[in-house]
Amino acid sequence: MNEEQAWVFQAQKGDDQAFTQLVEAYQKPVYNLCYRMLGEPEAAEDASQETFLRAYQHLGRYDASRPFATWLLSIAAHYCIDRLRRRRFSTFSIDDEEDDAPAFEIPDADAPNPERESIRREERENLHEMLASLDATDRAAIVMRYWNDASEIEIAESLGLTVSAVKSRLHRARLALGKRWEESSAQKEPKRRPHESPAF
Amino acid sequence: MNHRPFEDWILDEQPLKPEQKRDLQAHLLECSHCTALSEVSLELRSVKVAAPAPGFTARFEARLNSQKVRERRNRLVGALVLGIGGVGLLIWFIGPYMARFLGSPAGWIAAVVSFFVVLVDMLRALGDVGSIMLRILPGFIPPIGWMIILSAISGLTLLWMVSIWRFTRFAKGV
Repeated sequence: MNEEQAWVFQAQKGDDQAFTQLVEAYQKPVYNLCYRMLGEPEAAEDASQETFLRAYQHLGRYDASRPFATWLLSIAAHYCIDRLRRRRFSTFSIDDEEDDAPAFEIPDADAPNPERESIRREERENLHEMLASLDATDRAAIVMRYWNDASEIEIAESLGLTVSAVKSRLHRARLALGKRWEESSAQKEPKRRPHESPAF
Repeated sequence: MNHRPFEDWILDEQPLKPEQKRDLQAHLLECSHCTALSEVSLELRSVKVAAPAPGFTARFEARLNSQKVRERRNRLVGALVLGIGGVGLLIWFIGPYMARFLGSPAGWIAAVVSFFVVLVDMLRALGDVGSIMLRILPGFIPPIGWMIILSAISGLTLLWMVSIWRFTRFAKGV
């Protein structure tokens, strides 16, 4: 039995300290998934707290033969998908949120090349907007694949899909992101020219 | 421009042979669509993992504690409401009978016994009527009528089961 399994076992027996260790260990991947799904730090904080709360309440239902991280990310992904669906039916939109919210990645003032850092930040924000344009389940699959390094089998288990459905969703989502990236690059091209060096 | 098989190579993210890599590089120089697909994959891999603000675990512990307090309070309030409501209902129902019972216990016991005797007789009579109806009714109701009745019963049963499932299922993913 490894350390993680020991914590889960103790937590299932009612040891809150053991569950706290699990929160400490998994806060980053869970928060990252919620953040990439919901696109806002406050919503991500609330969703990740709610994920751990649900995990705590249903710990007795956890099947120890599955990785704990997959189970936890499954709770987080379903919670975020539900939240996004509810949000879609309300008047509150992601665009409105982003207008009010501060930029989510503040550029590093100590970075060696501020211009390059600024372009990188712009690209990240662009990617963030593109992610927001994807279907909630496709977005969850992309986030789990790229940020959590989850295999297609793990994504399928987490999202309650078949492996072939995951492959198809990932393929479709990457294609959609690529098309948007191409459109956005084409729009940016004329804007950047005036700032280029006069030598060009 | 034909993007096959380059688009699939990029999207499937499978390891490529050296000659495939060479062909892909050559294609990327002239194809903005496949270049965008390739750049997006690289970008997705390079964006850092977002971390919560410091003190996440402490905030979770506080939230868990307040949730536990809320649940305890809800349980206590629920038990109190149920207990007080139950006692109130009991007093409301048996209050008038208690006064009569305390006035003349023998007469009251006789009334209760006769009530149960009548009740048993009534149930027996209802059973007899039911068995007679069961023998007679099949002849009166046509097969289509039985089909409608059985379908209605099945539909209501299904509705009941779906309602139970909807209200008792666990949160998704758990």
